[in-house]
Amino acid sequence: MKKFYDVVIIGSGVVGSSIAYHLSEKRNKEILVMDKGFPLSGTSGSTQAWVWVHNKVPSWYGQLSMYSAELYPFLKKKIGDVEYKRTGGIAPFFDENDRLHALRLAEKQAEVGIEMKVLDREEVLEKEPNLSPDIVGATYSKIDGNVNPFRLVELFIKAARKNGVEFSFYNTIIGIEKTSGLFKISTLNGESYLADKVIIASGPWTKEVGKLLGIHIPVKLVRGQVIVTEPVAPLIRNTIAGVRQADNGEVLVGYSKENVGYDRRTTLDVIQETAKMAINYIPKLANANVVRCFSGIRVIPEDGFPIIGEIPSINNAYVAVMHSGITLSPLTGTLMTELINEGEASLDLSKLNLGRFEKTKSTTVF
Amino acid sequence: MDNSTIVCKCEEINIDEIETAIKMGANQFDDIKRLTRCGMGPCQAKTCMNLVRELISKATGRSPDEIAYPQKRMPIKVTRMSALAANQKSMNIVSVFKEAVTEMDSP
Repeated sequence: MKKFYDVVIIGSGVVGSSIAYHLSEKRNKEILVMDKGFPLSGTSGSTQAWVWVHNKVPSWYGQLSMYSAELYPFLKKKIGDVEYKRTGGIAPFFDENDRLHALRLAEKQAEVGIEMKVLDREEVLEKEPNLSPDIVGATYSKIDGNVNPFRLVELFIKAARKNGVEFSFYNTIIGIEKTSGLFKISTLNGESYLADKVIIASGPWTKEVGKLLGIHIPVKLVRGQVIVTEPVAPLIRNTIAGVRQADNGEVLVGYSKENVGYDRRTTLDVIQETAKMAINYIPKLANANVVRCFSGIRVIPEDGFPIIGEIPSINNAYVAVMHSGITLSPLTGTLMTELINEGEASLDLSKLNLGRFEKTKSTTVF
Repeated sequence: MDNSTIVCKCEEINIDEIETAIKMGANQFDDIKRLTRCGMGPCQAKTCMNLVRELISKATGRSPDEIAYPQKRMPIKVTRMSALAANQKSMNIVSVFKEAVTEMDSP
């Protein structure tokens, strides 16, 4: 393995591997991706993997998600069948009072070009006859869908490797030092690598990796637990907020948020609540067999929005961390590549810059 | 036994697929699971876990003890959603008291 690289990407999840792939397309850089585990052993391998747009707010964030969702069909052509399906997305509500909120959301999203509709009960049941008749309505958009996260990350890595990117797994970084303009990265097994640029794409471990560089990246961890059923006959066609059916017939259910740090256990209370939710949404699921459960730790920047771009205080250091890595990975890879190759991205990244947290800090201090 | 021998019966994964995942760099059961689906089916790796650990050990030259077991998760065996949701009245739960008084009243 070579010891000097133009770019070292720290993290081989969906964000890191997407950046590696997009950055390698021009084949003009020596790139190394490092991971303390193996791809999919973290967040990217423990997700329902919706490619979800229509109720992301505020609308600029929805628009960002829409741009990324729009890159998926082409990505599928480039790296292979990641089982991306634009199924349409339905977010049901059970309280008639929510219709007003839904209509306001639709109005806001329309301003940035996100086409969404507010459906009444009959329209919901027409689209999805197996949904509960207790649903009074739903927001709906054609743009939403889902992807197979295992295939997505695997194919990002395969395509990147084909373009010459090197990968080093089960290799924990314990130090990053900047000396004479280069980053010296040392690992637990006693190796070191030199890099002109580093990109932190470390998901839930972003804060720890940031610390190695002496910077604070304000993110928090949230646990989500998901139930997986045995394969069943086609039950739903759309991605439902909380439920999706995979190609092989398995139904995945779950939308929970717990602040428990990096604790990936599944717990009976949340699993039982999730089973109840499954039956409330789709009564027929009462008779489905549950085969397994899983839990994943999602990372969320403190203000909820992605952090993508240069690290203001350190030349040639970059960070990409976000909650919706699956939805945003094609766009993140594209933008980071532009930023690194041209020095600027085709979208204004100022809202996403790490520096925004500094500003709020100083206003509270003074 | 050749490379087409099935290791994971639930998901029909053979030795060849496991070895391909190991060649990609995976050297723990759960990492191979996410690439191949091996161990994701109804038996939840009960059948394949040691077979796969052996294959990893053979390919990497590490002792089998160093290869971690797959993560164990609930439910240990396939369980009906309604039972998990606990919103079913079971016909088999009886009151000891009621049983006694009914028996006493019956002729």
